[in-house]
Formats: sequence, structure tokens, C-alpha cells
Amino acid sequence: MIAPEQYPVLIVTVPLLSAFLINLIGMVDKRLCYPASLLALGASLAAALAVAARVAATGTIHYHVGNWPPPFGIEYVIDHLNALVLVVVAGVALVAAIASKRSVEQDFPDKRAQFYTLFVLLTTGLLGMTITGDAFNLYVLMEISALTNYSLIAMGGNRALVGGFNYIIIGTIGACFYLLGVGHLYIMTGSLNMADLLQLLPALFHTKAVLVGAILMLLGAWIKMAFFPLHGWLPNAYTYAPSATSTLVAPLMTKVSVYIMIRVLFSVFGAYYVFTVLPVKGLVVWLAVAAIVGGSIFALAQQDFKRMLTYLIVAEVGYMVGGVWLANQWGITGAILHIVNDAVMTLCLFLFCGIVVHKTRGHRLENLRGLFRRMPVTMAAFAVGALSMIGVPPTAGFFSKWYLILGGIDAHQWGFVAALLFSSLVNAVLFFRVFEIAYFEPAEEVHGHGAAVAIDEAPLSMLLPLVAVAIGLIVLGLYSTSLVSTFIQYAVPAGI
Amino acid sequence: MIWQFDFIILALALICAVASISLKDLLSAAIVFGAYSFVMCLLWTEMGAVDVAFTEAAVGAGVSTVFFLAAVLHTSRQVKPRRHGRFFYKFIGAAAALAIGGVLLAASADFPTWGDPASPASIHVSPHYIINTIPDTAVPNVVTSVLADYRGFDTMFETSVIFVAGLAVLAILGRFGRRTRDEAPAEFAAVPVAGQSPIIQAACRIMVPFMQLFALYVLAHGHHSPGGGFQGGVILAASFILIAISYDLRAMIGRLRERWNMVFASLGVMIYAGTGALCLLLGANFLDYSVLHRILPATSPIMARSHGMLAVEVGVCFTVMAVMVLIYVNIASHGKSDKGL
Amino acid sequence: MAMAEIFAKYNYWIYITLMMIGLYAMIAKGNLAKKIIGMSIFQTAIIVFYVSIGAKKGGATIPIIAHGHEGAEHVVRAIDYVNPLPHVLMLTAIVVGVATLGVALAIAMSIYERYGSMEEEEILERIRE
Repeated sequence: MIAPEQYPVLIVTVPLLSAFLINLIGMVDKRLCYPASLLALGASLAAALAVAARVAATGTIHYHVGNWPPPFGIEYVIDHLNALVLVVVAGVALVAAIASKRSVEQDFPDKRAQFYTLFVLLTTGLLGMTITGDAFNLYVLMEISALTNYSLIAMGGNRALVGGFNYIIIGTIGACFYLLGVGHLYIMTGSLNMADLLQLLPALFHTKAVLVGAILMLLGAWIKMAFFPLHGWLPNAYTYAPSATSTLVAPLMTKVSVYIMIRVLFSVFGAYYVFTVLPVKGLVVWLAVAAIVGGSIFALAQQDFKRMLTYLIVAEVGYMVGGVWLANQWGITGAILHIVNDAVMTLCLFLFCGIVVHKTRGHRLENLRGLFRRMPVTMAAFAVGALSMIGVPPTAGFFSKWYLILGGIDAHQWGFVAALLFSSLVNAVLFFRVFEIAYFEPAEEVHGHGAAVAIDEAPLSMLLPLVAVAIGLIVLGLYSTSLVSTFIQYAVPAGI
Repeated sequence: MIWQFDFIILALALICAVASISLKDLLSAAIVFGAYSFVMCLLWTEMGAVDVAFTEAAVGAGVSTVFFLAAVLHTSRQVKPRRHGRFFYKFIGAAAALAIGGVLLAASADFPTWGDPASPASIHVSPHYIINTIPDTAVPNVVTSVLADYRGFDTMFETSVIFVAGLAVLAILGRFGRRTRDEAPAEFAAVPVAGQSPIIQAACRIMVPFMQLFALYVLAHGHHSPGGGFQGGVILAASFILIAISYDLRAMIGRLRERWNMVFASLGVMIYAGTGALCLLLGANFLDYSVLHRILPATSPIMARSHGMLAVEVGVCFTVMAVMVLIYVNIASHGKSDKGL
Repeated sequence: MAMAEIFAKYNYWIYITLMMIGLYAMIAKGNLAKKIIGMSIFQTAIIVFYVSIGAKKGGATIPIIAHGHEGAEHVVRAIDYVNPLPHVLMLTAIVVGVATLGVALAIAMSIYERYGSMEEEEILERIRE
């Protein structure tokens, strides 16, 4: 059978091949698409776990596609950083797929085959972006995940179309900037392989072309992750996207883009260049502060629950970018841990949002009225996610925030520390307002009946993933130190 | 390279670009944009990028323009004059363009001289491909060997991008749940539709077989001359689109049904990824075609690479052909797949 | 600046100009079709850049190895052929370009069907109603 040396490529190619099969299966029977997607994503997750275990045991793995040695062929490089991110991406995608059943049946019953094919291909794109060690291969995968994402959003119709169109325009600018940045490095060095570039670039650190290449690649990643002030596309695109889409893309797209930023910074340019030569260090931390404060304030102003969550994503991106540019052990550890934690937290919140949309056909704050009585288990699971967003121990959100604050103190970036505390405060206000609405305000249709509200829980296919993710948040919190000691401490570049 | 010629082409490209974004009539803008692509295609031939030029001619100047025309005919033809001047966006746009332009100009000062044979890009990785393509793969067209073998993994995803585009257009525009969708009239519309010239129809009918033959030649001969799966696929698609334009869409769907189209699109990428997976099952790395010599009779590992490339090019051709037709059908008929251009 | 220097770099200047035109159109134009044209120009600008990287002066020809009937008897020199790698990369970029174009047109057409306009302002007005 297939040797364990081949597992890295399976993480990407199994969902890829399955996606085309799902499309064909859908022509025969639409109902089979859902289990087929689960199978594909499950297999991918299993391969990712096996690879992560091997990385933890033996260190970085290289895989040469087509058996061509780099820099001539395309190489997969799995180190401690992307081994972790791969598991997160595959895991989150699987959970989002499980929960998508009812939403998809409700929103587009006739387009199930198309939806699941695009869904699995989007996951393939994200996994491929994460695993590759080739700067151009990353661009191609970036376009796969982007195109699938545009269309999955636009499938929502109406306002989602407008949001999707803006996203195409801005997303294309982002991807093109990245491609142009790669072009600048290519014209100066003649190579596309990240490890090779890391060797060749130090001799060219003084050139403006490399500087511009770095800035273009960063701009590309920032546009893709909606980093302030390039975040304009995100709220509309994610708010009006179908629930099944936003459950997948909201936790993953921004986080994978943050990973891309870290990968490009440290595996192509190297920490010395990024923090010593590149003259943007102070600026980026202040932009991160603006992202956190701005995202939180905008979230506070929303009357629409889902839109509020999208602004929280903007704020969370500020956490991670700021953490990286703190340029110390704590900050980068916090940023990487936050990629994991934030993916799971956002998944939890958007799963809940999916349930709300499924049950009440809306995602405004008033749709939440009376939900504590109607859906106690759902609300309890949501509460865990909300506490994690606020940063209450022992949920996962607390630990990454703790590392980030330590990093901020260590780097004397008091503005960043203040922004983190401010954002926790705002999150507390936000979520307690949500709890208040859901607990005290009775649902309109049962007004007058008082406590006599029948329990009407979400369907199991949506409830179980939510509960599992909520438990996962606590488990992640409890085991965050071992996560740091097994994976993240090796992912932080040496010499900082 | 003749710099006078270069200069004229580049000037034309700039003129076409400015014209296509400033013309108020969108139909003209689309046609000028087609001209822009054609000028680009000349530029690339002139710089020796024949495969790129071929693809641009087929994709950019060919099907893209047709997609655009079809879309414009279904929406509004004119850009409306605005009540408010969009000054804010114009300002942001100009500022962003100037900022990026300035930064890029600054960077270009460090670039090696254009066409310098000793530039890093010319001496670091690429000579390896030029020198080793014959010993490694027995394919003289270096672009093909890099595309389908050395960097074949990129191309697999590139084909998937095409597949995604087709599926996305179908998912966004397509109307589902109607039984009539695949029931295109079986009989070929021999009676000319009013307003369509029988001369054009007859001419197109004669051209189509030659186009398809040429497409197959381009596909099969991609190892030795410019061309390959992409170009062949686009030309095949163009032949079907030509039927749709000269007769009507039903005539074309009668020959290539939508359902089969989707099957072809999936099948194409599956041939590609499946070839890769086959190498995996034979114990080699993904897409390492040389291992295929074990199952192909009378081949060396080197020739196996050549044959492997042909297999994936066929896959690419399938997908590209099917998806281009699919996009055209959905755009031209606004997702209804019946009437339309 | 010396004449020689101008001729040495003009390809890069043209790509920068095209890129600026495309970027301006994407942001400043209110008509969705114009935005899409701008996007395509923006993408081709990058292709001009990459293909220019691949060019070699001094007698280099297209990257198809000249060979006899019985394989290569003569020595293949890299300097005789233009750099094929940027061509391969840009084939991908062209394909990505047409894919993006198709999806963007499909979304624009659906927007037109739903809101009856291709102008950004009018669409936003109709959303507010």
C-alpha cells in the first residue's frame, strides 16, 4: 500500500480527487455528496494527523513532487508550524462540513453537488497553501481557494452577490500583489523555491527590488487577511454569505493568510531582514492596534449578530499580525497559538450563527431573543465560545492572549497591550449584551406565555459539532502549554 | 528582437488599454479589449514566448472577448453618466495607482538590464530545464516539459482552477430543478434562424471540422511545437462556440450536452490527478511519471515521462474544452442554456 | 539618463503603466464591466513583467530544443534559448485570468438580474431601498 513517506501529498490530493468525484456522484444522487465530502475531509485530516505526529517525532519533512529535487521541482516542506496549521485546517473544515448538512438543504437544495465540490476544493486550496515550500505554487493554490470562496459566497444571492463582486476585485488585487512580489524576487534571484530564496536573498538585502518584493507580498497577504485598513471587503462578503460557507471561510481564510504571512516573512526573507532591515516594524504594530480598536468599536455598533462577528474577525487579525511584529519569543508564540485558538473560537461562533439562521431565518440581534429557553445546550456551547473570545481562563482564548500580552510588555509596546485589554473589555460588553437578549428578552411569537417555551434544540448534525468544538476550546486551553512545547516553540524562528 | 517593432506594439497596447477603460459603449470597450489581448500576443511572440502568445491568442483575444460580448449583450450596453462624480473613488484610485507605480519604478532601477543573458533569472534555475529536458524527458519543447513535468503539480492545480471557474459559473448562474434543462432539441437546427446569414452558417460549418482537427494536432504535437492541452482545449471549445454563434445555442447543445460537458470537465482533471495517483500507487512520488514504464509496454523511464505528459495534456484539454463551453453557454443564455447568442 | 538606459528598461516602464491603468480602473470606475476590464489589464501587466524577465538578447531563440532525428547529437547551450520558466508561470496566470473573468462576469450578470443595473451607485441605492 501507500508508504508513510507519501502521506504529505495525500493531505492535498485526496480531497482534490474526491472533489471531482463528488461532482460526478452529485449527477447520480445529490444526497451522496454530503457523506462523500465527509469521507474526503476525514481522510485528509487523518493524513494531516499522521504527518503532524511524524514531524513531532522526527522533525521537518521534505517531499519532492514528481521526484524532482528543489529548486527545479516543487517541494512540500512540513515543519512544526505548518504541521499544526494543516491539522487545524483539515479539522475545522471537517467540522464545518458535518454541520453544513441542514443549511445546505435549506439554502440551495438543487446545488448540493456544486456546493460540496467547491467546499472540498476550497479546503484543498487552503491545505495546499499551507503545505507548499514553493512561492509560485502557493499563488496557484491561493487562486483556487479564492475562486471557490468567491463563488461559495456569491451562491448566497442578493447582497452576497455584491459582497462577492467586491471581494473578487479586492482579492484579485491581493493575489496579483503577491504574484508581483514573487516576480521581484524571481528577477533578482532566479528562484521560486522558498528555502533556495532564503539562501540567495541575504546577498541582495540592500536592494530596493527585494524591499519592494517584500512589501508587495506582505500587502497581498494583508489584503487576503483583511488587515486594517485593507479590511473593507470582509464584513459584507461574510455577513451575506450562506451560513454553510461562512462557517468554513470565517475561521480559515484569515488564519491561513496569517500563516502565509509568517511563512513568507521567516522562510523566505528570514527574521533578520524582517525585523532589522524592513522599515515597517513600528508602523505594523500601530496598524494592528488600530485594527483591534477599530474592529472592536465597529463590532459594538452593529445591530446584526453575524456582522458583529465579522468585525471581531478584523480585530482578531490585528492580534496575530501585531503579535508577530512584536518580534520576540512571546509575541510570535502567542500569534501562532492564536491562529489555532482563533480558528476554533471563530468556528464555534459561526456554527452557532448557522444554527440561529437555520432556526430563525435571520441573523440580527433580535433573532436571538429567548434562545436560552428554546435551545439551552446550544446556548451553553456558544457561551464557551464567547468566554474564549473574551479571554476567560481556562478557555483557549485566554492563553494566546496571555502570551501576546507578555510579548507586548517585553517589547514595551504599551499601545498594543492596552488594545488587547480594551478588546477583551469590548468583547465582554458585546457578548453579555448577546446573553442578555437571549436570556431576558422573550421571543416575540411567545410573548405573554412567559416561561412556557418548549425546548426546541438545533438538529443533531448542527448541535453535535458545536458542542464538540466548545469542549475542544476547553481542552485546547488545558493543553495549550504542551501544544507550545511540542510544536510552537520550534516554529518560532531562532535568534529572536 | 527589433526595438522599433517593440515600441510600436507597446504604444498600441497602452492606447488599447486606455481606450477600453474610457469608452462609454461597453460593446466597443469589449472589442477594443480583444484587440489589446491580440497586441499582447504579438508582444509575446516577439519576446520568444510562443506558448504564452498562443494561449493568449486563444484565451485572451478569443474566448475571453466572446464571454465579454455575451455578458454585455445580456446586461446594459452603455456606461451611464453619473450624477455624483465618484470623486472620492477617483482620488483613491489615482492615489493608489501613483503610489504603486512610484514604488515599482523605484524597484525597477535595481533590475538587471532587459534581455541580459547573464541576469540571475537566466542563469540560476532555468538553464537546468533547457539542458536536461531531452536527457530527462525526451521532450524538446521546454515549456511543455516544465509545465507538465518539472512543475506539473502547478499545472494540475491550474487545471483545477479552470474546473472551479466552470463549476462556479454554473453554481452562480445556472437554474436548477427544471426538467427541461438537459432536454435540448435532438434535431440539428438546419433551418436558419431569422436574421442569421446562410453564408456565415455554411462557412462556419466548413470551418468547424478543420478547427477541431487543428486542435487535436495542437494537443498531440505540444511536445515538439508550441501548443498543448490548454491551447488545444480552447480551440476545440472555440469550434463549438462558433456553432453556437453562427446557428444558435440549441444547435450547439444538441451536439454537446451540458451534462456531458460537466462529466468531461471532471474527467479531465481526474485524468491529471489520476495519473499522479497512479505513480503513487506504483510506489513512486506523486506525478513521477518515470515509474509508469513498469506498466507501459516497451518504454524506458525517460519515454514514460514523455507519455505521462501526453496523458495529462489530454486531461487538461478535456477540462479546458468543457469548461470554456460551459462558461459560454451559461453566460450567453443567462444560465438557461436554451436561447441566447 | 542615457539613451541606452532608457532602452534597457522600457519594458518595465510599460508594465508599470499598464498596471496603474488597471488599478485605477478597478477602484475609480463605477461600472462593474469596466472594473472587470481593469482587472484583466492589471493581470496582463504582470504577465508583461514576467515574460520580460524571460527574454534574452543576443540570438536566443524560442525554448524548443533543436534536435536531430536520433536525439540530441549537438551540445545544448542555455544561452541559445530564452528562459522558459516565466512562460510556464504565465500560462498559469493567463488561465487564472480567464477563470477569474468568467466568475466575475457571472456574478456581475446575476447582480444585473437582481438589481437591474451595472452601476455601483445605483446598486447601492437599490439595496438601501
